Amino acid sequence: MADLGRAALVTSLLLLVYALVAGSLAAWKGRRRLAESAQNALLGSFAATVVASAVLLAALARHDFSFQYVADHTSRELPLGYTLTAFWGGQEGSLLLWLLVLSGYSVAAVLTARRVGREVLVWVVPTLGLVGTFFAFLLVFVASPFATQAAVADGAGLNPSLQNPYMAIHPPMLYLGYVGLTVPFAFAMGALLARRTDERWIVATRRWTLAAWAFLGIGQLLGAHWAYVEIGWGGFYAWDPVENAALMPWLAATAFLHSVMIQEKRGMLKVWNVLLIVLAFGLSLFGTFLTRSGIIQSIHSFTQSSIGPWFLGFICLIVVGSLALVFARLPLLRTKTRLESLVSREATFLYNNLLLVALALTILWGVVYPILSQAVTGQAATVSKPYYNFFLHTFGLPLLLLMGIGPLVAWRRASLRALGRTFLWPLAAALVAGIALLAAGAGSSRIGVIAYTFSVFVLASIALEFARGTAARKALGGVGWPAAFSSLIARNRRRYGGYVVHASVVLLAIGVTGASAYQTVREARLKPGQSMTVAGDRLVFRGFQTRMESNHRAIRGLVDVYRGDKYLGRYTPGKNQYFAEDQVSNEVAIRHDLLTGGDLFLIADQVNSNGSIDLKALQKPLVNLLWLAGLVFVGGSLIALWPDAREERRLAERYADAVVRI
Amino acid sequence: MARRGNPARLVVALSVAAVLAVFLVYTSIAGNATPTLRPSQLAGHAGQVSLMGQVIGTPAGDAHAAGLRFKLRDVKGPTAVPVVYKGSVPDLFRSGRDVVVDGKLQGGVFVAVPNTLVTKCPSKYQPKR
Repeated sequence: MADLGRAALVTSLLLLVYALVAGSLAAWKGRRRLAESAQNALLGSFAATVVASAVLLAALARHDFSFQYVADHTSRELPLGYTLTAFWGGQEGSLLLWLLVLSGYSVAAVLTARRVGREVLVWVVPTLGLVGTFFAFLLVFVASPFATQAAVADGAGLNPSLQNPYMAIHPPMLYLGYVGLTVPFAFAMGALLARRTDERWIVATRRWTLAAWAFLGIGQLLGAHWAYVEIGWGGFYAWDPVENAALMPWLAATAFLHSVMIQEKRGMLKVWNVLLIVLAFGLSLFGTFLTRSGIIQSIHSFTQSSIGPWFLGFICLIVVGSLALVFARLPLLRTKTRLESLVSREATFLYNNLLLVALALTILWGVVYPILSQAVTGQAATVSKPYYNFFLHTFGLPLLLLMGIGPLVAWRRASLRALGRTFLWPLAAALVAGIALLAAGAGSSRIGVIAYTFSVFVLASIALEFARGTAARKALGGVGWPAAFSSLIARNRRRYGGYVVHASVVLLAIGVTGASAYQTVREARLKPGQSMTVAGDRLVFRGFQTRMESNHRAIRGLVDVYRGDKYLGRYTPGKNQYFAEDQVSNEVAIRHDLLTGGDLFLIADQVNSNGSIDLKALQKPLVNLLWLAGLVFVGGSLIALWPDAREERRLAERYADAVVRI
Repeated sequence: MARRGNPARLVVALSVAAVLAVFLVYTSIAGNATPTLRPSQLAGHAGQVSLMGQVIGTPAGDAHAAGLRFKLRDVKGPTAVPVVYKGSVPDLFRSGRDVVVDGKLQGGVFVAVPNTLVTKCPSKYQPKR
């Protein structure tokens, strides 16, 4: 079986090398037949990678411990679900998943994005081949998932904290995001190589970019939720390098999604867009490098592995190569249109881009600081939370504000008088909200008041946009409000889907601010019968309860929660002691208040032998809006991604000459 | 096409300048990053540092009262330093584990900042990527 897997990977590698070499030659010399066969090689490599993945999956399912990978990451007691998801529980499997997703994306993108034009497409194939070759090479020569050994009786098992439903969904989502950025990157490079620097490559990959970006966002929110409910320290994001590794390409991709609209509408920012997609793709490779090389201290720890230098080399190749290409094509990337006014839609997009990129780069600086300081001063130093929080506030709050301003400002040039009219209601709403917040005592955190006031401003301006659009549609069509509303969205999915995503970002900001700026934390050592108070809730400790399970002992503190005289229920924070793994895991208790959106978060910090508990209680107002934001984000992304027949027709007319089979 | 006076260029240039200014202000106010040291490098550092090492011996004491006492040794080397720590203790903390903790050396004892103890997962595992 392992031989079949290895053979499939070697086949995949050979086909990808062929797609790279023959594809380049075909594009360079203009050989149509050769280009066709290079494209078929790309299809073939996908099939071969599917076979390799199936072999690994089958080995996992059969507990075939003659596969080193299976023995290292699973055991016989492990439930079937987690046994299968161990596919991406380790390095070799992760790389295989990467190649599988990449070749799948490559095939789908090449087959569906013909609108870009043949002369670009013939260059896209070898670019995709190059990236694929790298991963297939690693899988064949450096980190093979099909290494065999004398079969052992039982495997090493999976870390208890990975035995969790989030494990099944969080990593693949991130992969779909990381890897998906390859598609717009390859099309950008294809366009440059083919000297076709118009906006076609952007239009052709629009949905792919959007999908990759949405997956990356969802993957991160799932990771945050996992950390919140499972890891049990009361937070959801710790500015850990591994978390930052996913955030940076997402920020760069967010900037890209916005700035390409300017190129589509006004033909501006061509160089900037190409640089942004290089940055986003480079950061996604860098993220993989970070998590796979063990070069940086992280609370997530990874096997020190030999693939680090390979990755670094490949990142250098990609960055240097694409920058050289951009430089060589600079004359073609000159734009004819100029920014007409600093108060215009284009200008707000430009500000948004600069802020997003600045945020991504300051995070990058924080992440690589330990390496740099080690190299320069010989002593590693790390930047901590205050650094990241400072820049999140400095760049994030203006970004939040811009989300409310940008959509209401006219293209080209906006007059100040018109702006005053436009922003009257959102400004009034924000002002009222600010005063109300101060009156309600939210002034304890200045950042919090600013964030909430901005949030209200943005929500009001989004609501205004929907209301205006619906009213206009109703006047036009003479239909009812609901029909006008749905036809408004259906006629411009990208725009209104984008507004829904904006709303989700505001919800996210509200949730994060509530959970950080307005959090109350109380700690106390309680004997049975004693109580403590956190933000108005009284917690009475009633003693411990111990239960034996098949693989662990579960100790639970019984905590009764009262608000005033009202009994709110019994919550049971505690610890599980796993026998086989000889590990303790914190099991938190969370009381969701659906009415206020806040959480009471209980942690049994220490279980004492004299029967007392060290209880940590966190009151986190509005934190559930953060998870609601995730749902709204998915909804908004789906609206924007949904196939749109009207738009397809419009584009088909515009690019009628380009749809040619190769 | 007139190069001069293009507002986009102006905006970009000004923002780059603004970002640099913000950065300088930050580094001058907030000071430098915390150095990460091994126990053998501690001598001579009076300020706050992150200490990285391996837990040796049996941790004793109460992290929620007088403090948890343990020793940290260089991961590769014999030098060790006693540590006193208060606050939450991570699930994975125990003798033999690699940990990172912030604090200051005071009279030969590393006094940790409460709630800064972080354990590194055993390297056999590869948690989320």
